[in-house]
Amino acid sequence: MCDNTNKNIYLPYLATVAEIIDETPDVRTLKLVFQDEQVRESFAFRAGQFGEYSAFGAGESTFCIASSPTRKGFIECCFRSVGRVTEELRRLEVGDTMGVRGPYGNSFPIEEFYGKNLVFVAGGIALPPLRTLIWNCLDLRDKFGDITIVYGARTESDLVYKRELQEWQERADVRLVKTVDPGGNGPEWDGRVGFVPTILEEAAPSAENTIALVCGPPVMIKFTLPVLEKLGFSDEQVYTTLENRMKCGLGKCGRCNVGNVYVCKDGPVFTAKQVKAMPVEF
Amino acid sequence: MQKYISQHNLNTLLDKLIAAGTRVVAPRMNTGTPLYEPLTSSSEMITDQLPRRSAKEAFFPVCEDIMTYEKEGQKVSVSDIDPARFPETVLVGVRPCDAAAIPVLDAVFSWDYKDEFFLERRRKTTIVGLACTTADDACFCSAVGLSPAETKGSDLFLTPLEGGGYACETFSEKGETLIANHPELFSEPNNAPPLPLAQPQTEKFDLKRVKAWLDEHFEDPSWDSIATRCVGCGACAFVCPACHCFDIVDEGTEKAGTRRKNWDACGFWKFTHHASGHNPRDQQPKRYRNRIMHKFKYYDDKFGQTLCSGCGRCIRVCPVGIDIAAIVDEIGKK
Ligand SMILES: Cc1cc2nc3c(=O)[nH]c(=O)nc-3n(C[C@H](O)[C@H](O)[C@H](O)COP(=O)(O)OP(=O)(O)OC[C@H]3O[C@@H](n4cnc5c(N)ncnc54)[C@H](O)[C@@H]3O)c2cc1C
Ligand code: SF4
Ligand code: SF4
Ligand code: FES
Repeated sequence: MCDNTNKNIYLPYLATVAEIIDETPDVRTLKLVFQDEQVRESFAFRAGQFGEYSAFGAGESTFCIASSPTRKGFIECCFRSVGRVTEELRRLEVGDTMGVRGPYGNSFPIEEFYGKNLVFVAGGIALPPLRTLIWNCLDLRDKFGDITIVYGARTESDLVYKRELQEWQERADVRLVKTVDPGGNGPEWDGRVGFVPTILEEAAPSAENTIALVCGPPVMIKFTLPVLEKLGFSDEQVYTTLENRMKCGLGKCGRCNVGNVYVCKDGPVFTAKQVKAMPVEF
Repeated sequence: MQKYISQHNLNTLLDKLIAAGTRVVAPRMNTGTPLYEPLTSSSEMITDQLPRRSAKEAFFPVCEDIMTYEKEGQKVSVSDIDPARFPETVLVGVRPCDAAAIPVLDAVFSWDYKDEFFLERRRKTTIVGLACTTADDACFCSAVGLSPAETKGSDLFLTPLEGGGYACETFSEKGETLIANHPELFSEPNNAPPLPLAQPQTEKFDLKRVKAWLDEHFEDPSWDSIATRCVGCGACAFVCPACHCFDIVDEGTEKAGTRRKNWDACGFWKFTHHASGHNPRDQQPKRYRNRIMHKFKYYDDKFGQTLCSGCGRCIRVCPVGIDIAAIVDEIGKK
């Protein structure tokens, strides 16, 4: 009747906080190393999958796995402090222990992107779910055509992964277009000023043989999709992720559904075509 | 296998099981409220009242420990639950609507990832159903394709007979084992007629038509009128034999504590509320719509089953008189 008898699906792996990086005043990256050697070796995931991360005593939170599957021996998560669990995770210091369940959910079908150009469009704190794929693709650079990254945030200090933006900017094989909302730029700002959809339209990447990957707050997505359409992208060429509130991540707790779609099992990665076929419940 | 058991022998059976250390769960009075609870003696069992909450909690308790943690400096150790927590159980006197909902729940707890908390209890539990002789005007099992004599979910099914005692019929190896372990208490079936069964009054729903309408009408002005009154108390979900939504929470101190799986309800505004403040179901009618959709469409889409067995509990407890049977009936006639 069952292939994993007596296994407790709610039991997390234990991981040690190996490094803490402050991305913005309230967004933090934790680099995690699994404590069990076997788990360290066997934990395999694909870009786009997520985990349930626990601060013992506070509970669990859902974050994407923000590091690339091509970088082994650790995983990273990147989160904004907004509540009970995330505040508690923020209190952790290097060497402390936390819990991780996963990897869960579907993933970006990266093999289908081989030979194509990629356009990443991200806003604010939503870069992590694309950053895993960006590095995945950069680590397999010769499998893809042009890579364009359009990333924006409200202000300069809201940009996450600043050191990596620098690195992408310096690479000849990546086109980075970074932007901040009007008024969000300081005197030293060397990027664009404007909302992501506008800047994307100006950057005008060709839709020919191209896949667009879009993650951001609902309002950014809402205005970005029509721009992509104008640029000639079909809804099958556009991918995004949904972030419905989750608890189990396992298709049991009944929390994450959009219509009859369970985001934790059927998602979180969907094409724009799939999203448009769903009832508006995200 | 068909047998007969007298009331006296049924009591003897339960007392023998209890004496042998088997957990026997049956409807009993708890300070004025009938609930499915462990018995200490067969004399506690009541059969004339529908328990306030359903029998699902014998498999999926209101609140359940799923692990414990202990912190020591920077180290944390977590402990899995002790499998001894799931004793051999006989669940007796289960209403047909409650018993029928249990195999429906198997689908969600066993697809893909296996929830062993539910499934191990399922393996360890023998369900003895009891044909229903008392219905009230909230009951509508027959409207969703079940009946007061429905045997779905039961390992052994009892039908009360004129002149006392029960006709016994087995529907699984577990049911047969229960009889085989106590042959002296059962005799060959007799010809006594069954007591008159309950007669729920609601007309049979056309569940195919209900689903067909739901398939097309996620957006529909009638949702607002259907559930404007709903106050989001969640009572309907907590009494339901088929609702399975839960929360996962930590309870404890900085040093040590427990992670728990607690019943939750899609009627609560916080259920889908994002940390950003955004809420995909930001109004009560949207939450009530999810309740109807989950039961009569989504669960069917996913598992080919309906997530309601017509027990009528949600109708009885709703503080504002929302009647799911009337709502579904109306949808089926649209
Ligand atoms: C697939 C997926 C991937 C995600 N990836 C990321 C990621 O990579 N990075 C990231 O930062 N986030 C991500 N998120 C979002 C993240 O899961 C949540 O931000 C996080 O779980 C919030 O956890 P918390 O316990 O700190 O917040 P909570 O303690 O749950 O606090 C927020 C919640 O508290 C409640 N609340 C808040 N204020 C009040 C109030 N005044 N009264 C009553 N209740 C209130 C609300 O229900 C609110 O939803 C992702 C989500 C999903 C589903
Ligand atoms: S929805 Fe209401 S009537 Fe149907 S099984 Fe649940 S509590 Fe009973
Ligand atoms: S019991 Fe009634 S008021 Fe309470 S959540 Fe259910 S339908 Fe709404
Ligand atoms: S998060 Fe529990 S069902 Fe999707």
